[in-house]
Amino acid sequence: MATTDIPKTPVLTENEELGRINSDYTERFGFHDAENYLYKAPKGLNREIVEKISEFKSEPQWMREFRLKALDHFLSRPQPTWGSPLLADVDYDNIHYFVRASERAERSWDDVPDDVKKTFDRLGIPEAERKFLSGVGAQYESEVVYHQVRKDLEDQGVIFMDMDSGLREHEDLVRKYFATVIPPNDNKLAALNSAVWSGGSFVYVPEGVHVEMPLQAYFRINTENMGQFERTMIIAEPGSYVHYVEGCTAPTYSSSSLHSAVVELIAMPGARIRYTTVQNWSTNVFNLVTKRAVAYEDATVEWVDCNLGSQLTMKYPSVYLMGERAHGEILSIAFAGKGQHQDAGGKIIHAAPNTTSNIFAKSISKDGGRGSYRGLLEIAKGAHGARSKVVCDALLLDEESRSDTYPTIRISEDDVNVGHEATVSKVGDDQLFYLMSHGIPEDEASKLIVNGFIEPITKELPMEYAVEMNRLIELQMEGSIG
Amino acid sequence: MIDVCPVAELKPGERRLIEWEDLEIGVFNCDGALYAIEDRCSHDNGPLAEGELDEDRCTLECPRHGSLFDIKTGRPLTLPAYVPVDTFPVIIEDETIKLEVD
Repeated sequence: MATTDIPKTPVLTENEELGRINSDYTERFGFHDAENYLYKAPKGLNREIVEKISEFKSEPQWMREFRLKALDHFLSRPQPTWGSPLLADVDYDNIHYFVRASERAERSWDDVPDDVKKTFDRLGIPEAERKFLSGVGAQYESEVVYHQVRKDLEDQGVIFMDMDSGLREHEDLVRKYFATVIPPNDNKLAALNSAVWSGGSFVYVPEGVHVEMPLQAYFRINTENMGQFERTMIIAEPGSYVHYVEGCTAPTYSSSSLHSAVVELIAMPGARIRYTTVQNWSTNVFNLVTKRAVAYEDATVEWVDCNLGSQLTMKYPSVYLMGERAHGEILSIAFAGKGQHQDAGGKIIHAAPNTTSNIFAKSISKDGGRGSYRGLLEIAKGAHGARSKVVCDALLLDEESRSDTYPTIRISEDDVNVGHEATVSKVGDDQLFYLMSHGIPEDEASKLIVNGFIEPITKELPMEYAVEMNRLIELQMEGSIG
Repeated sequence: MIDVCPVAELKPGERRLIEWEDLEIGVFNCDGALYAIEDRCSHDNGPLAEGELDEDRCTLECPRHGSLFDIKTGRPLTLPAYVPVDTFPVIIEDETIKLEVD
């Protein structure tokens, strides 16, 4: 096959084309509204701010004490130095830790304040709710402004509300499980979230109930230098099923915002939880999130994690397989463009016999972006018959970009089956040539290769999200081939 | 059997760290009841017995990553630890606190 008569195309982008990448982010997600808030905390964090947040929310004494203790943990822990040099740029004193946009979480869309409503209308949330969701939560800045769940699910005992309401209305349930999966002193960012958490979702699915359509939450930051610290907890009772989807965007500002969530999932025996994230923060957001799940006997937890936006994302969803035959699954896509570092991956801990797990992680780096896979697979003593497969693939679109893999595997049992595969590839001229020789234009060919690369994960997304994900990737790809 | 200290020297809320051969053990007076627990968090082998004692619940919080342990049983009540740590029977003989160790 003659390849020499096809002019070689430089994979590196031209400078003037770099500006076109994700070119409609500002228009679609990067806009911001006028600030007309009920309360906006001054920048910086101290005891007074934490007490104020608790007072605003009229919380029980135990939660106030929990927050203050977590604040001490946060202040006494050093900033982590592993992961990314960009972490050193997080300025905790230059952040608003609490912004209240509305009086309460409304049940009717008409009651949501106009400005906020307009934002979510523009993001397509009410339309999505009508079409294919069981329930919707919309968080604007620190608090949830709208929440709705289908009546038939409510009648079956399904609880889907913002975490603040969860604490008010189901205090015993919240207290029983809160911070049992991620204690406040787990790490510095979990301590920060525990001190200043606000909003997030509280989901409870009673025994045997299957929530067929997804529940969705949408998180929106509007203020510059804002910190969003939602706290989400999902409890799936034995034999139940729920799929929770979250999406995130923020305006494009020149200085940084911080998003630091804590997500705890509890899958009781035989339950199944699927948790899907499509994260597309603007590139001024530090996204430092702790997500952890516990799966008891015969339970399944799946994390589907798509990381597109942000300046730096450090996120390693984990599953502790605590009961026999529990199954954990982590599917992760990260797309790192110019100036971005996506440090993503997953952790699976096999703590019981005959447990199974899969980690599939894919990263795409372009224009000097850095994609890292960081993972842990642990098989504890006694977890005989455990089976696990870890596959991490990286695709580099040009020579300036970077990909790293940091896998850790700890096995303390003999009778197990563990596989680990890692590949790094580059969009090759021969692949492009092959497609172009079939009449496909070059930019289309390149998109096809990338879409094929991530397809094993996008096919796991609900259809509407898969379409959106492919569109976002295409946008990121614009101008990538000269 | 090893001696820890006279009973009068370990008041409610107090602790004593002792070493015996290659074992490090924390002995606690939790609201009048005595318990002994291995001074090692099963999560990452960090020191556990220096953690915060909750006398109401008889729990100990690992100072490194926050796992909460029941000091009566050694069982972790929260992640990230999931393997129990060893506990040791405590007895009082001649006004002295003693531990039974293998």
